Amino acid sequence: MTTLLSSHVVPTALLLSLITVAFTLVFGRVFCGWVCPLGTLNDCMGRLTPARRRKEYGGEQARRLKYYGLIGILVSSLFTLQIAGLADPLSLLIRSLAMAVEPAVNLMVNTLFDLIYRADIPVVTPLAETVYSFLKDYLLSFRQPFFYQGFFFGLIFAAVLAANLFRRRFWCTALCPLGALLGFITRISPLKRAVGKGCTSCNICVRACRTGAATDVKGAWRKAECVVCGECQEECPKDAVRFGLRTTKGKVAGIDLQRRGLITSLVAGIFIPPLIRTHPTTQRRKGRLIRPPGALPEGEFLRRCVRCGECMKVCLTNGLQPALFEAGLEGIWTPRFDFRTGYCQYYCTLCGQVCPTGALTKLTQEEKARTKIGLAYIDKNRCIPYAQGGECIVCEEHCPTPDKAIKFEQVEIATPQGRRRIKRPVIDLKLCIGCGICEYKCPLHDQPAIIVTRLGESRAGELLPF
Amino acid sequence: MSPLTRREVLKLILAGAGAALVPWPRQGTVVAQTASLPDVVVSKGASPVAITEAAVQALGGMGRFISRGDVVLVKPNIGWDRSPAQAATTNPEVVATLVRLALAAGAKEVKVFDNPCEDARRCYVSSGIMEAAKKAGARVSYMDDRRFRKMDIKGEALKSWEVYQEAVEVDKIINCPILKHHSLARLTMGMKNLMGLTGGDRARFHWQLDQALTDLAAFFKPTLVVLDAVRILTANGPQGGSLKYVKQLNTVAAGVDQVAIDAMGTRLFGITPAEVNLLAVAARRGLGRMDLGKLRIKEVKANS
Repeated sequence: MTTLLSSHVVPTALLLSLITVAFTLVFGRVFCGWVCPLGTLNDCMGRLTPARRRKEYGGEQARRLKYYGLIGILVSSLFTLQIAGLADPLSLLIRSLAMAVEPAVNLMVNTLFDLIYRADIPVVTPLAETVYSFLKDYLLSFRQPFFYQGFFFGLIFAAVLAANLFRRRFWCTALCPLGALLGFITRISPLKRAVGKGCTSCNICVRACRTGAATDVKGAWRKAECVVCGECQEECPKDAVRFGLRTTKGKVAGIDLQRRGLITSLVAGIFIPPLIRTHPTTQRRKGRLIRPPGALPEGEFLRRCVRCGECMKVCLTNGLQPALFEAGLEGIWTPRFDFRTGYCQYYCTLCGQVCPTGALTKLTQEEKARTKIGLAYIDKNRCIPYAQGGECIVCEEHCPTPDKAIKFEQVEIATPQGRRRIKRPVIDLKLCIGCGICEYKCPLHDQPAIIVTRLGESRAGELLPF
Repeated sequence: MSPLTRREVLKLILAGAGAALVPWPRQGTVVAQTASLPDVVVSKGASPVAITEAAVQALGGMGRFISRGDVVLVKPNIGWDRSPAQAATTNPEVVATLVRLALAAGAKEVKVFDNPCEDARRCYVSSGIMEAAKKAGARVSYMDDRRFRKMDIKGEALKSWEVYQEAVEVDKIINCPILKHHSLARLTMGMKNLMGLTGGDRARFHWQLDQALTDLAAFFKPTLVVLDAVRILTANGPQGGSLKYVKQLNTVAAGVDQVAIDAMGTRLFGITPAEVNLLAVAARRGLGRMDLGKLRIKEVKANS
């Protein structure tokens, strides 16, 4: 949605979301109540609070928050700033699971089974190993993933879940911008909730409602908050609650926004984009900010990427990492390559395949092999053949380009032991695609003697001196 | 991958039956025969399966190397994310044939694994080795980080190093490297292929490569080496990637002497053993012989 507004294109995934919109137009926020995985998780968490300790839903103020947030996001997306992904429930969930929960669980399970494996206890260890190999085949990661900021993603996720202990579905009612959007849409929906004559105002339905939408016969149903879970209908001892499309009965409350909040969110939506873009990276990108292959030109890329983290999750080598401030505040949590952690595998095209918004285009293997994401440079003060006159060919050996972007020059050097001939790596910038395997594999791990910077990336289409 | 032909199946059954019928104290007879067996067999022909079978046969058959109940490691080169046609990894048919022969000779289990330079999943699949070896009955596994142990190599360059435990626990190792160009070692063949059984920071081997590889060769002592030269990579090795550097030789070389096989590899490649320093280092350490003139070399032609 915001991708549409900020970049004026219709990604395919957006067409799918029209199904959700269509359903909402008729049946209300069924997506939130029946489909949204984060909503389901919130419900599970909400059950952990015993009924007697639950807070009543009074917080009109809290409920308004999400609308203000949405307005801010939508307005700023009109000004080409894409920040919906930060709070979109699906992005949030995928990001949290992929970059915090899964790596942590994986590490925990591995550590546990490692311990048993090392202890080598008769009967126990072989048994544990059978379980482990099953887990390894079907559940655990092939290799332990590591992510910058995984800890913070985990904290945010934990906070979202823990909020349910305070109020059930706190996220959905107070913060979720998607919930707010669907809430707006429900206003046109013909769905009605009628409370019949049998109602004794026992308020069981009000207490049962997880979003504070249900009311007794006298009150007006807060339609935009209702996730159509049907709990009020189920719980009603008098069977007085009915949902229907054709019934005309039943009072409906609209979305009650205050002028002050509305103006604040509008103004925020207008001013956030320029404010965020006062960061110097808006003008000149950092050299080490290397985007995945197939990324659109930077501006367009930022307008499309929703920070869901799918590309980072599938990256074979774990090289794709979430940015913090490397791409300015605007680019927070967008994918960037960290060649100390991993590199871009020559024939792999997974990130482009999973990107839901087209911020990364799908590439064929041939296109991928031609796509430059940066260029490699040798630090001659550190590189072993240059600095110490020793033999080392690791970067050349790993260079995946068929005609070798890293070649050798044979030179004769003087060493304390006399003159000798050695091979020194030189880079053919025409052939280099910036995949970063040389930087990753350089034996000088502390500070590689060959590094990749973004200069020369295909998507920028810059004029280059070679 | 071509499926088994009827001829191959019959051969297999015959080989199996033959192995079962050979009288028990056959070890003695084999030892007596080795005196007349060649040091290196060079087998040529259009079918990788047939030339591998013929090479092993000319060395006295797999029964000479594998005893009933052995756990065997067939160690191909699965180092890179490349297809068989790109000749950066061992020919999958050669690997599968060795697996099949080892099982037919009575091996209890045949394992296949390697520690690739790139993502193991891509290398195992792209090379075609996982599929072929599994079909032939091998247990193909990805190396498990936990199973690397720092072991005493007692070498000159490597005093101790992380070695894959399973590789040490097997009864026999059949090394099946591919012959290809290597930017530092000049060529990579059998001894270099053993690097795939080690872990740790292998990139540092390159600083004293010849010594380190000799240490590894002395440590692992493979029972049999089958050098795949069906397709060879003539330049930009060890990874290659372009078909213009691939040459079809339709050959395998096999033998017991690690140095001799690698020396033979240099001849197949079109250079001399003297041009590969590793051979001199290994020969000096008494690991094998590199003088092709003094070796008994037998050439066989295999037609399928």
